Amino acid sequence: MVATAKTSQTAVEAEGRRPSASTRGAYEWTLLIISGLFGLVSVWFVGTIIWQSASTFKSQGFYIFTGLNWIPGAGTGSPSQYGGRAMIFGTIETSLIAMVIAVIIGTGTSLAINFLLPQKMKTFVATVVELLAAIPSIVYGVWGMLVLAPWFLYTIGPFLSSLPGGTAIFGTTVAGKSLLLAGLVLAIMVLPTFVAISREVIGAVPHELVEASLSLGATRWQTLWKTVIPTARIGLFGATTLALGRAIGETIAVSLVCGGVIGSSFKPLEPGVTIAGFIATQWGEAVGSDQIGALFAIGAILMVVSFAMSVFSRRLVARQRRAAAVV
Amino acid sequence: MTDSLTTQQITSAEIRAHLRERSSATLRRRMATSRIMTILCWLAISLAAVPLVALLIRLFEKGTPVLLKSGFFTQLPQQPTLFDQTNTGGVSNAIIGSIAIIAYATLASIPIGIVVGIYTAESDSKFASTIRVVASTMVGAPSILMGLFAFGLIVVQLHLGFSILAGSFAVSVLMLPVLIGSTEIAVRNVPPTLREAGLALGAKPSTTSLRIVLPAATTGIVTGAILAISRAVGETAPVLLVIGGAYAITWKPNDPGSALPVTMNSYVASNFDSLKDLAWGIGLLLVLVIFVLSFAARIWAARKQKVQR
Repeated sequence: MVATAKTSQTAVEAEGRRPSASTRGAYEWTLLIISGLFGLVSVWFVGTIIWQSASTFKSQGFYIFTGLNWIPGAGTGSPSQYGGRAMIFGTIETSLIAMVIAVIIGTGTSLAINFLLPQKMKTFVATVVELLAAIPSIVYGVWGMLVLAPWFLYTIGPFLSSLPGGTAIFGTTVAGKSLLLAGLVLAIMVLPTFVAISREVIGAVPHELVEASLSLGATRWQTLWKTVIPTARIGLFGATTLALGRAIGETIAVSLVCGGVIGSSFKPLEPGVTIAGFIATQWGEAVGSDQIGALFAIGAILMVVSFAMSVFSRRLVARQRRAAAVV
Repeated sequence: MTDSLTTQQITSAEIRAHLRERSSATLRRRMATSRIMTILCWLAISLAAVPLVALLIRLFEKGTPVLLKSGFFTQLPQQPTLFDQTNTGGVSNAIIGSIAIIAYATLASIPIGIVVGIYTAESDSKFASTIRVVASTMVGAPSILMGLFAFGLIVVQLHLGFSILAGSFAVSVLMLPVLIGSTEIAVRNVPPTLREAGLALGAKPSTTSLRIVLPAATTGIVTGAILAISRAVGETAPVLLVIGGAYAITWKPNDPGSALPVTMNSYVASNFDSLKDLAWGIGLLLVLVIFVLSFAARIWAARKQKVQR
């Protein structure tokens, strides 16, 4: 690492002065202009979404964050009401369920792949995991809707509801489609994504550390828990953020299994909606009315959350790296 | 003297015995914990594998007969009726629509993505690092937002209507940041000694980049591009918002069209079992295309690397 840094330094020195504005040739200008074009598209992207949603933010105010009614006013004479609480809560709840399942099972899986599976299996499993990560989300959605939803309706739902206090905590399922099912489908969907990265970062933990820990008499689990996982924590965090990003933004898979009902109880077994899923399912009837602006508005909320997460995780990773470098 | 010595000996022996007993108790506990957690790790990997294997089995089981049915690839969709429930037709329009969308999106995003990737890999200016941050933020942006963007720009601002063009625009915006990232990594992975050698021979920086560094990075760039395409193939949400939906076969960018994932999404909600089966078939087709693409990328990269060695 240090060696490469040094050599690239020499490369800069060998090149002498970096090409300044006056010495830029056609090549440099092409790179610069096309990169500028990409920058422009990105700015336009953010601008378009904000611009399209501005009127809704103006007319709804805070109601878009807290309100529970989603009533287009067109044709009724009364003003439209667009509250996004159900979608925001639904998004948080499904992603949370998905992340709890995916991170626990995914970390266990990565540990098993790296430390329990025989060497020959490792490459095979790694390839399979990466292929699974490439399966389109709609396939997970269709499977969840046609296979898991009936299972939820007849087996899981009644079981959870029959637990002591089950109805109070989980609610009762009416069609199998529910926030819990959406969270589960999301978990299954992001699992390969999470494992693809966490397997790699756990595999990158230096062998010397593992051997040192084992030779000090630590058991296998103590080595994994106190040496391997802390060493790989930055990478594991990165994998978690990536999986969370996918879970929050997932549209079709969720829209097929979440039930699509704007509820107010948010019990896991009851149907709900998420931001992205709601935009997709509502789109058809929204085009041409002020509802489009409202959908853009909840889309803008989703965008801000996604960008904030990205900035936050980049900062945290940078800080962790600096801390690791000091030690 | 001897007395005290024996006492001391006894004491130390006692202490040793005590210690041995205690440590073996801790050791036993530690070993037990370790064994339980190891079993839990095995449990985790099986819990992860079971649903994914079940999904794949069901997909192949339900999808294969659909793909083998005559007309799936060649016929236009038909609306089944109560009297003729299996009259579903094929999905030729969606296949053509998907190919058109992916083709236009690839044509637009690959050159731009590669150029921007080279720029962010080679330049250390402030602008380059801004572009880098923007690209990595866009990679994580929910795909449905690209659909909103395509609607806002292509349909509203440019008045081009719901069309294949709008769909492929959404997909290309989705692919761009992925391509930029993979190209940047590929270019950065080229050993700096190669560039130094080129510069030392007196080549201009641009010549060095184009004739030495880029060829060395081709494997990584192409692999990244294939993976970006395979990601785009199954993308549903952004295309769904702007494609328009049509039952005719069309290549034309300004026509409303159809796409495989979008068709799948509408069929799965249908009341006809025959259409639900068709959705499985489309799902299998998508998965097969994606698997073939990723395998091709892998095999190609592996062979290239062997040749280079």
